[in-house]
Amino acid sequence: MKKRRLAAGILAAAMVVGTLAGCGGGSSSGGSGGGDSTTAAAETTTAAAVQAEVKEATGEDVTIKVALWDYSNTEYYKTMISAFEEKYPNVKVEVVEFTADEYDNVIVTQLSGKQDFDVVFTKSTPALSALINQGHIYALDDLIASDSSFDSANYSGLVEALALDGNTYALPFRYDNNLIFYNKDLFDAAGVAYPEDGMTIQEYHELATKMTSGEGNDKVYGAHAHTWASNVGMYANREEKFNLFDVETYDNLIPYYNEFLAMQDEGVIQDYGALKSSNIHYSGVFYNQQAAMLQIGTWFINMLCENAEGENGFKWGVCSLPSNEGVGNENCIGGVTPVSIGAYAKHPAEAWQFLTFVCGEEGAKTLASCGIIPGYSSDAIKEIFDALPQTYVNAPEGLSKYVSCENNLLETPLNPKGKDADNIYTEQHSAIMTKSVTVEEGIQQFKDRVSEVLAQ
Amino acid sequence: MGKDAKTGKTPSKDSLRRRKTLVAYSFILPNLIGFFLFTFVPIVFSLLLSFCEWDSGNPIKFVGLENFIYMFSRDNSFWISLKNTIYYTVVTVPVTLALSLFLAILMNKPLKGRVFFRSVLFFPYVASLVAIAVVWMALFNPDRGPVNGVLMALGIANPPRWAASTTWALPTIIGLTVWKGMGYYMIVYLAALQGVSRELYEAASLDGANTWQQFKSITWPCVTPTTFYILVLLMVSTFKSYDTMYITTQGGPGEATKVLAYHIYNTAFVSSKFGYASAIAMVLLVIIITITLIQFKFEKRFTSYL
Repeated sequence: MKKRRLAAGILAAAMVVGTLAGCGGGSSSGGSGGGDSTTAAAETTTAAAVQAEVKEATGEDVTIKVALWDYSNTEYYKTMISAFEEKYPNVKVEVVEFTADEYDNVIVTQLSGKQDFDVVFTKSTPALSALINQGHIYALDDLIASDSSFDSANYSGLVEALALDGNTYALPFRYDNNLIFYNKDLFDAAGVAYPEDGMTIQEYHELATKMTSGEGNDKVYGAHAHTWASNVGMYANREEKFNLFDVETYDNLIPYYNEFLAMQDEGVIQDYGALKSSNIHYSGVFYNQQAAMLQIGTWFINMLCENAEGENGFKWGVCSLPSNEGVGNENCIGGVTPVSIGAYAKHPAEAWQFLTFVCGEEGAKTLASCGIIPGYSSDAIKEIFDALPQTYVNAPEGLSKYVSCENNLLETPLNPKGKDADNIYTEQHSAIMTKSVTVEEGIQQFKDRVSEVLAQ
Repeated sequence: MGKDAKTGKTPSKDSLRRRKTLVAYSFILPNLIGFFLFTFVPIVFSLLLSFCEWDSGNPIKFVGLENFIYMFSRDNSFWISLKNTIYYTVVTVPVTLALSLFLAILMNKPLKGRVFFRSVLFFPYVASLVAIAVVWMALFNPDRGPVNGVLMALGIANPPRWAASTTWALPTIIGLTVWKGMGYYMIVYLAALQGVSRELYEAASLDGANTWQQFKSITWPCVTPTTFYILVLLMVSTFKSYDTMYITTQGGPGEATKVLAYHIYNTAFVSSKFGYASAIAMVLLVIIITITLIQFKFEKRFTSYL
């Protein structure tokens, strides 16, 4: 009897452990190779292995594996890859696609299992920091040095920004600035002047109040703030007054938080909690003309070109982010989409060819013609942006002014603790925006938690 | 067998027994191997890992009890998620139990269209959690949801903001869990109820027992083994649940719906701290084993009618 009961207890415990096994299982698959990862890490820091294979890479038929998200619903990847295969007929590209929402986490797990991806795209710099930290990608310096056709000057400082401890780990595929997008039709209907470059955040708030109208399902919000922490933080970020890895700068977020909470209380922007719990995407809000202004990244140019045309379309425009410090159009703030070579790549040489192709002039032109800002910049790229209204009648003139600035700043610089700090940032942002804590308390917790992570 | 055939003797009792045992083992072996490789080994690995620091790339580093010290002394998120997990379990389990028993008793009556109602009640359990969650969140949408629409029509000016508020987010998710699970437990109870002898009720009503007395003295004692079974299942599933939170609120707003299993997921797969995540998992394991053992200890007393 006793035995039976014990057995039942163990069985119940085993059921419980199902969850833990889900997590343990993932780790154990990588765990068996725990010893090997030392060597992988060593290879990464030297990058000598990559250079050696550069010389061998000529002509043989190879297939490179490229890890990506959103491949199946993004046209420019397909265009770019077929152009690449045309230029290098011996290289076939095999795309491995993962879901966009979980990409940053999935790619870490995949590489922990030593998947032989030759090319690894990452969604952001914190994710890249994590991969570098864990030795999952190669450093590219030797390749850059050995390839005379590659010139990092074409990337306006972004290649340098993708370096950590003196090693470069990725090329910038895309660079997204952040702007205020506005619906010209709504402003015309209300008889209010369009927003302009150089507003302060108070002026932005006042303008949003003027543009708010209606009730219930017909309500039009004056502005829309998406739920990412950066949707508040980047204003101070663009003024170079906020750096995630310097807790002393966090106080500069307070005025912006106060302004956004006030806008939320007044019903000028939608409530953070409601957006989050109903999973509302900013794009739908703007396409359906439920918000007059929207702060979001320049990838939205591409989305508007595709969605703001035709019968239900509307004219739209852009201006630079408001700034309390009078920072004008000279500073861009945004994120970069890095592309790297996986540390378990079978064909690093061909992977480099792929990198320089998609991040070079040809890839950049494909991106620009879709309204996406490439990491590579040149006059030809700017002209493509200025020509967009010829194809898309509702797009504004003179977009080139906003696609490249004197200073391309990164929301989150590379840092070994990047992902940890970024997670804390997200949690504290959520706590402040849902008023679980006051702004001051939230910022103080933010400081304490990040300080602890940085000190580890 | 060949040997036996040659000698012509009938196999001895012992060897027959051994053979039977071997056959039995061979039947459970496939499952046992699976359990060993995919559950037991990872658990042991996870246990070892809980004393280490590992980010899945760099070599594993032994850190002793540091993970546990950090968890208990400095990790606020751990305490918040522990509190949320307990809250979630303590409310979900009794509510689900009570509702499913109540529904089972209703459905056990010769009600018109009860097959239809049974199917309706069972439906949330069969449907995918993702679909159910979307429907639930749409019903409880703070601004455009029908639930708040009704509440406002009834004259409540400021109805709860449900999943958008830190106070109501967890109750909203509890509601979803109860709604999804009760259909299944109702079926389990229904089976138990149908096993209760009619004669007992007949005798009781002859003696003049009312419905409540019948429930208290016949129904409830007769279904206690089922109640116990459901109690264990529910406790375990609520303690380890994280899928509902993952789909609906991602632990937010703030950390209002962050439960232990979600914290483990976050620590392991978002922050890549596999060692620390294993340490939290071990704490969760100890909690669940303790509760389960306590439950089994009281099983006898609980199902005392037998």
